[in-house]
Amino acid sequence: MELAKISALLEKYFEGNTTLAEETQLKEFFTRGEVPPNLVQYKPLFEGFAIAREEKLSKQIALPKEKDTSSFWKWGIAASFVLLLGISSAFFFGNTGLSQEEQEALAAYNNAKETMLLLSENLNKGASKVTYFEEFSENASTLQVINQFNETTSKYLK
Amino acid sequence: MKQKEFLATVLPVKDKLYRLAKRLLVSQEEAEDAVQEVILKLWKGKNRMKDYKNPEAFAMTMTKNYCLDRLKSKQASNLKIVHSNYQNDENLQKKVEVNDGVQLVFEIMETLPEKQRMVLQLRDVEQFEFHEISEMTDMNETAIRVNLSRARKAVRDQLLKQYNYGVS
Repeated sequence: MELAKISALLEKYFEGNTTLAEETQLKEFFTRGEVPPNLVQYKPLFEGFAIAREEKLSKQIALPKEKDTSSFWKWGIAASFVLLLGISSAFFFGNTGLSQEEQEALAAYNNAKETMLLLSENLNKGASKVTYFEEFSENASTLQVINQFNETTSKYLK
Repeated sequence: MKQKEFLATVLPVKDKLYRLAKRLLVSQEEAEDAVQEVILKLWKGKNRMKDYKNPEAFAMTMTKNYCLDRLKSKQASNLKIVHSNYQNDENLQKKVEVNDGVQLVFEIMETLPEKQRMVLQLRDVEQFEFHEISEMTDMNETAIRVNLSRARKAVRDQLLKQYNYGVS
């Protein structure tokens, strides 16, 4: 490469105006081959950067042991889903879309209906007994007639 | 995200994180701690990592912030990093064959202000584009170029001074 071009690039370089490609050219010029004596003082600069780039971390990186957090999360999510499903189904089936007040009213209504039914059932039972009684008193009255008949017949027999 | 997957995203960047941390904190030990700390933080927030369009830039930003915080608290507690300078020299000599000139460049870089050090590291060592550096440092491109120019000139001037001194 012509020296004039290198000198121009160097000037640009120190002003902070070179591109990466131009800087690579400079680095190659100063780290490979012969460097003319008037530029040799820049050699260590570019050599230094190349050497600095070779340095590596010698220490091992230690990470904390991997607890299987992913499966823990999976189970946690699954468990909470089941719980949620349980709660929501209890709500869904127990609650037919009525508010608490309406539910109480419904319960009271059902209760009352049941009591009424029981009452009417018993009433009917009682009523049937009454008919028996009527029959009985009818029979009793005929019995009385028979008694009277017996009495009179016994009077005659005397 | 599993640990394996996480490491696959983070490990290619770890050396860059380390080099940035070391450029800022100077001490090798502290830079290692910084990387460990940053990667641990990333691991804890790994589920959010998908949301960042550039995880590398995000990790670099975290490293930068961590190091600047460390430096601030160090300044506050008046602890100087003299010991780590020494450690750094020793470390460099052990690791790579460094000639006097390059050694000098590293020493000069340590004396630069934090912003200049950071920008020089990201551009001249890691070769990031300006828009990437902007994303990492919260600086606009003009500010980056200004700091970069100052850093490059400072290193050059120091180098020339030493060079001329050494020659004469």
